[in-house]
Amino acid sequence: MIYLDSAATTLQKPKAVRRAVARALGNASSAGRGGHRGASRAADILLDCREAAADLFHLDDPERVCFTANATHGLNIAIRSLVKPGMRVVISGYEHNAVYRPLAAMAPEGVEITVAKGEPFSPESMVYAFEQALIGGASAAVCTHVSNVFGYILPIERIDGLCAKYGVPLIIDAAQSAGCVPLDVKQLKATEFIAMPGHKGLYGPQGTGLLLCLGEHPSPLLYGGTGADSMASGMPDYLPDRLEAGTHNIHGIAGLLEGIRYVKKTGVQEILEHHRLLVAEAAAEFYGHPHFRVHAAEWFFCQSGVLSIRPTKGTAEEAADYLAGRGVAVRAGLHCAPLAHETAGTAETGTLRMSVSTFTESWEIRTFAGMLKAYAGK
Amino acid sequence: MANCYIMSRSLTNAQRSVRVLQHYGILSHMVRPPQHLTGRGCGYAVRIHERDLGNALRLLDDNGLPAKKVHRVGADGSYTEVKV
Repeated sequence: MIYLDSAATTLQKPKAVRRAVARALGNASSAGRGGHRGASRAADILLDCREAAADLFHLDDPERVCFTANATHGLNIAIRSLVKPGMRVVISGYEHNAVYRPLAAMAPEGVEITVAKGEPFSPESMVYAFEQALIGGASAAVCTHVSNVFGYILPIERIDGLCAKYGVPLIIDAAQSAGCVPLDVKQLKATEFIAMPGHKGLYGPQGTGLLLCLGEHPSPLLYGGTGADSMASGMPDYLPDRLEAGTHNIHGIAGLLEGIRYVKKTGVQEILEHHRLLVAEAAAEFYGHPHFRVHAAEWFFCQSGVLSIRPTKGTAEEAADYLAGRGVAVRAGLHCAPLAHETAGTAETGTLRMSVSTFTESWEIRTFAGMLKAYAGK
Repeated sequence: MANCYIMSRSLTNAQRSVRVLQHYGILSHMVRPPQHLTGRGCGYAVRIHERDLGNALRLLDDNGLPAKKVHRVGADGSYTEVKV
């Protein structure tokens, strides 16, 4: 199979990830639930993973790295921590439903959403739109680092700077950027949370995620046992325990640890450059083609390893089905981000999205392009 | 020579403390202290030799892991709080 759906999940994982998962299934029990060897191994896996993640994002304190089930879980914690009834929240026009739905669910509590729409692949227009929205008054902001539909890298450091200027705490959705686009928390001033999955650019298994808690306001979403402070009826007031009720996904986190080690060894900037080369190659195949419209950044300067293509003959879903029948995995539709399509003007049709990983090779891009052109020529 | 328990607020905090101390050659182990020492139910502590206490407290402080409470474990199994 030619796998070009890494924006959903990286299917190909480093061998060390698979080995670590299998090993942990056999020898790691529950961290913090005993002093025996199985519990100690589990505890070591957790701390090693927190330290590796902290190092990857230049975070000084590994206790601010909290484990979640996925990015959506982390975003829900972050949103529920910062957004209170009656607040006005600014979001970008490229947010996933993992951001939009938790906020929309708070509408009965008087939460208002202001969408800062900037032109696709135009960081200047994004910064301008975000500042206009902040000037209108806001209590919190949420912004994706990379659009999961278009691979557009938003100017997140500048948006963080704007939020600092207006005293608004920011949540970053790093679902598509973690492990794929460099991010240094030391450069951020207003960001209180960064949520990310483990199963995409960090090459961990599904069911893993990280929430970096940079601020002082984390509120638990789940309540339960943490292995400590058992006499207290409330959750501990310290991290990471405050946000980690219940048994950890230890074997998943063991895999995530190896995934993060792989990313660190490969280098995030090198990964981004590899992704850009492949996406540029794919885009070049379809520029000027009568049956396709390509959505990409000029010179790919703010483009990650995701590319959306819109067939003008037939639908994106039909094209994806055609490719799936021939062993090529892509994704078609709205990609759980209708807001991004409304912003870019593709809501009526959706797009066909191809997305790459470090394991993707040039010949796979050429084969995919050849098949898609053959489909259009039918 | 008696042992001392350096009380930790969490599993992660205790683990990090052990790693720092071991890095500097101080023999240390993470333990579950008796509940009457924590006052909050289950908890964690780092067990070290009493002779290493001063050095350990300084190293933990230098590495952003300041100790809040320390108990000395007597030969008869009694616990005495040591002023930090």
